[in-house]
Amino acid sequence: MDMKARPPEQQIFHLTGRRQGDSLRAIDGLGLRPALLAPYRDLGALRHDFPLVLVDGSDATDFVRPLSRLVDELLQDVAPRGVEGERLRRHGLQLERNIRREVDAGAGGTLAELWETAAAGLGAREGETLEQVLNYAAGSLRADGEVLGCTPKMPARLITHAWRATRNARARQFRVEVGRLTLKLSDILRAAFSHSQAGCQPASLKAAIGGSHQDAFDFDALSRIVGKGAPHDELPPARRARLEHTLVVLQSQRFFATHEDAVDEENYSFEFDNCAAAIQAWRDRIDEVVALVKAISIAELEIHGRYVEAEHNLLFATFDASSLSADDLARFPDYLVCIPPERNDAPENASLMDMLSSGLPVKVLVQTSDLLEDTSIGTGHFAFGVRSARLATAAMGLGGMYVLQSTSSNLPALHFEIARGLECRGPALFSVYSGSAAGATLPPYLNAAAAMHARAFPAFTYHASAGGNWATRFSLQNNPQPEDDWPVETLTWCDDAQQRIEQACAFTFADFVLCDPRHAAHFALVPRAQWSEAMLPVAEWLALDEGSAAQHVPYLLVVDADDLLQRVIVDAKVMQATRRCLLLWHRLQEHGGVHDSHAERLLARERAAWAATQQAIAAASAAVPAAPAAATPAETEVAAPARSRDEAWIETARCPSCNECQLINDRMFGYDERKQAYIKDLSAGSYRQLVEAAESCQVAIIHPGKPRDPNEPGLEDLLVRAEPFR
Amino acid sequence: MSQSLSSCVIKLHQEHHALEDYQGGVPRWCNGCGDNAILAAMQRLCADENLAPENTVFVSGIGCSSRLPHYMKTYGFHSLHGRAFPVAEGIKMARPDLNVFVSTGDGDCCSIGAAHWIHALRYNMNITVVLHDNHVYGLTKKQASPTSPRGLKSNTTPYGATLEPMNPLTVSLGVQGASFIAQGVDWIPEVLYDILRAAYLHRGFSFVRIIQRCPEFMPKVFDPWLHDPQRTMLLTHKDGLTLSPGIASAYRNQREHDPINIDRAREIASLDDPIPVGILYRNPDAPCYEDLRHAGQLRSPEYIRAGLDREFDKYTVWPEGHAEA
Repeated sequence: MDMKARPPEQQIFHLTGRRQGDSLRAIDGLGLRPALLAPYRDLGALRHDFPLVLVDGSDATDFVRPLSRLVDELLQDVAPRGVEGERLRRHGLQLERNIRREVDAGAGGTLAELWETAAAGLGAREGETLEQVLNYAAGSLRADGEVLGCTPKMPARLITHAWRATRNARARQFRVEVGRLTLKLSDILRAAFSHSQAGCQPASLKAAIGGSHQDAFDFDALSRIVGKGAPHDELPPARRARLEHTLVVLQSQRFFATHEDAVDEENYSFEFDNCAAAIQAWRDRIDEVVALVKAISIAELEIHGRYVEAEHNLLFATFDASSLSADDLARFPDYLVCIPPERNDAPENASLMDMLSSGLPVKVLVQTSDLLEDTSIGTGHFAFGVRSARLATAAMGLGGMYVLQSTSSNLPALHFEIARGLECRGPALFSVYSGSAAGATLPPYLNAAAAMHARAFPAFTYHASAGGNWATRFSLQNNPQPEDDWPVETLTWCDDAQQRIEQACAFTFADFVLCDPRHAAHFALVPRAQWSEAMLPVAEWLALDEGSAAQHVPYLLVVDADDLLQRVIVDAKVMQATRRCLLLWHRLQEHGGVHDSHAERLLARERAAWAATQQAIAAASAAVPAAPAAATPAETEVAAPARSRDEAWIETARCPSCNECQLINDRMFGYDERKQAYIKDLSAGSYRQLVEAAESCQVAIIHPGKPRDPNEPGLEDLLVRAEPFR
Repeated sequence: MSQSLSSCVIKLHQEHHALEDYQGGVPRWCNGCGDNAILAAMQRLCADENLAPENTVFVSGIGCSSRLPHYMKTYGFHSLHGRAFPVAEGIKMARPDLNVFVSTGDGDCCSIGAAHWIHALRYNMNITVVLHDNHVYGLTKKQASPTSPRGLKSNTTPYGATLEPMNPLTVSLGVQGASFIAQGVDWIPEVLYDILRAAYLHRGFSFVRIIQRCPEFMPKVFDPWLHDPQRTMLLTHKDGLTLSPGIASAYRNQREHDPINIDRAREIASLDDPIPVGILYRNPDAPCYEDLRHAGQLRSPEYIRAGLDREFDKYTVWPEGHAEA
C-alpha cells in the first residue's frame, strides 16, 4: 500500500485531528459505540453480576451474592426438573428481570422487599396464584439483604458491608478472649476472697449456700472452724492491685460492643470519610490500645501463674505505642476510610500516602470516576487519571500493604480478594473506577467493564505479606485474556447480502475513549464509500513499525444508533494515549509474570547453553567408545554403609525399645535420645551376653560380630550361635 | 516485634521439654513387648512437639495397652474397660485446648468398647487414638479378642477361635465422619513415629491401629512379617508418608496411595498379607464435633448455677399440697 492510495483527508485528520474536505463526518450526536458493545444496549434484560445482594449476617468471605446466582439456586431448589418446572423457572427469571430494572431505575431495599413488590407486579398481570407461588418460593432464598445496582455509591456500600463482616468476626473472637481472661482473673480474686478472713465470716458463708438450705447450717460455728488461721488476704497488695486494674481495663474497653447485638453509643466508631479524621481518631485512642494490650498480656501471665514482677514490671512500664506489633493491632477493628470520589484531592485527604506507608491498620477506598481527564497543565494529552487512577500502582511501590485495583463492575468477582484485603494486617488500599463519569453515555456498569477490557483500568491485587516474591504477591486475576495486549472477541454481523460474518475484533483503549462524548473530536466517521485498504484496525496499526504505520490510518469498528456497522478513524493523540496505555499494561504483565523480559532473556540464554552442551556431548560420544553407566543418585543414596562381619553393632533405627537387651546388660546396651538401643560399651559385657541379646532381640537387629576375648569360655559354641546374626 | 505482646511474654518463660520429662514410671510390660515401642514413639512425639505436660492427657481403658498413661509424665485417666473414648470426649468438650490421647487395646476398643469406638469415629473430635492390637487379651493371661486369628487356642477358645478376626481398619473406614485412619507396626519404629506425628497434627479423630507383638502369649505370630520385609507394604504419598532412604531400601514393597482416596483406602485396608503400613485415609475438612457444638463454653459461676438449677429442677419433688403452679 502506498501513500497515493490513501485519501489525504484521512491522513490529515489522523495527524492533526482536524477534518478537511467533506469526506469525513464528525461523530457528535451520532450515538456511536464500539461494535463489540452493540449487544449490551438493554442491560436490564441481560443476566449479569448486578444487582448485588449484600448478605445479612454473613461471614467475612461470603458477604455478597449476585441476584442472578441466588435466583438460580432458588429455582434449582424449588422448580421441578424438566418441563414441569419450566413455568416456574420462566416466572422466576421474569421476576429477576423486573427487580433488575427497578434497581436500575433507582429502587432500593432488601431482596425480600423487592421480591414482594415484583411478585405483586407479576401477580397483577398473571393472576394472584402466581403471586402466592412466588412469595412462597421466596422462603427458599438462601440469603437476604440490601440490593445494590452498579451505581457510584455501590463500591463504598459494598466495602463497608464487607468491612463490618470482618469487624464482627473479630469482635466475636475478642469477646471470647476477653471473656475468658475476665472470668479467670475473677476466679483468682474469688478464690482469694474465699480463703481470706472476710470470706470465712458467717455472712459470707451464708451467702455461699443456696437459699433453701440456709437454716440447716450454723454459720457462726462453721466460720469458727474454716476461718481458723485464714489469712487477711492471701494476695500480696501489688498483685491484687494489678489484678483489679487489669480487670477494670478489660471490662471498660470501648473498641467492641460487649454483646453480639449490643448497640453501645459509648463505643468507638471506626468508619470515616476522610484520612484526617481517621488519623486523629487513631491518635486519640492509642493510649487505650496500649493499655488494653498490656492488660491482655498481664492477664495471660497471671492466669498461667507466670507473672514475675522483677521482669515483667519493667517490661510493661516501658511498653508504649511504638512497641505495638501487627499482631497486637490485629485484635482491634481496622479504620475504614471511604473517600467520596469528589473529595479525592481535598486537603483532608492529602495525608493518604503517608497514612498508608506508616503501616497503620487502615482500609481505604479511593474511587475514580474519570479516567480521561486532561493533564492539569493543559497540554491536551490524557492524564490517565494520575491523581487517583494510578494511585494503586504508586501504593504498590511503597510496599508493606495490600492493594486492590478494580473497576466497580468487577468487584463481585473479586469478593474473596476484598475479604483478604480487609482481613490482612496493616494498611490496605482499594482503588476502584466507578464508571460514572459526568456526561457518560454508557451506564456505569458497561462503562466500568469497558475500562477494564480496554486496559484503561486493569484489575490487580498486590499482597505484600503473601510471599517473598512478585509471583506470590501480585495477581492479574480477572482481567480478560491477560496474556494478550488487548482482549479479542468475535464480532458477528450481517452484511448487505444478509450473510452472517464473523470477525475477530480487539477492544482497545481507543474504543474506551470513543465511549466518552467529550472526546468525540478525536474521531471521524468514514463513509462506507471511502473505506480503503489503507485503513487498519487500531490493534493492528499499533503492531506496525513506524514506517509502515505512517502508510496507514487506524480505525475502529463501531455501530450507530441503528446498529449499522461503521468505521471511525482515530487521531494521533488518542493513538499516542493508546500506545502509552499498552506500555503500562505491559509493565503490569511483567509484574504478573506474563512476557517477563528478564525471564525470557534468561530462557534464551539457557537454551543456547543447552544447545551448545548437547552439541559438545554429541561430538564427544562420536569420538569416544561408550563408558559403563555411572550409578544413579538414587542408587548411591540408598546404598547402605558397609559393615564388617566382625564388628558388633545394632541397627538402632529399627529398635522398638523393648528392653530385652538392656535387661541382659544395661551397661553394654544403652538408649539414645530417641530411646532406641545402641552398643554403649562393648567392654562392659561378655561375648555370651552379646550373643544372647542377639538371640532374644524380637526384631533381630543386634549383630554380635566376633569375640573380643579369644579366651572366653564356650567360645566355639557361641560362634555357632552368633553366625545367623553376624 | 511481629508477634503479639501476650504471646511474646508467655513464650519468654516457655519451658522446653526433653524426652525424659515425659517418662513416668518404669514400664511393667513383659520383656520384648511391642507396647514399649509405642510408648517410646509417643514420648518422642511429645518431646518433639514440645507438648506442655500440664496440657496433655492420656486416657485409657483396661488392658496391657491401657497402662500407658502410667508411664507418661502427663495427666492421665486410667478409666473403665472400653470407656476410654467417652472419657476422652468429655475432656475434649470441657477443655478443647488440651492435647488428648487415647491408648486402647483390641479387647478394650473392639469388644466391650466397640459402640463407643464407632461413635467416637463419627463424632470426629480432635483426639489422637492408638489401638495396640496384639490380637489377644494379655493382661488376663490369654483369651481370644475380636482380632485374634481364626483357630487361636486360648483360655476361652480351647479348640481354637471360631470366627474370622475383625479388621479395625475396614470397620473404621466404614463409619461416616471418620477423618484419619492409619496403620503402623511396632517393629518399624521410624515409620511408627511418622504415623503418630501425622495423626497428632491432623485436626480430628486420628485413629492409628498398631499391630504389636506379644512375646508372652502370641510368640512367633508375627515372625513371618518380621523376617520378610516384602510382606510389609509401605504406603507413600506427598500428603502421606515420605520414607527415609534407609527405610525405603529396607522395605522395598511400597505403594503410592493418596490418603484422600477413601475407596482405595478401603481396598488397601482389606489386605492382611502384606500388611499395609501408613496413612490410609485423611480428610482434613471433616468437621469436628467440638467445633459444631462450640465446645469450651466459659463456665462462669452464673452459668454453672443456672445449669445446676436446671438439672435439679428436673428432680424437684414438691410436697403434697405445694405442687408447682
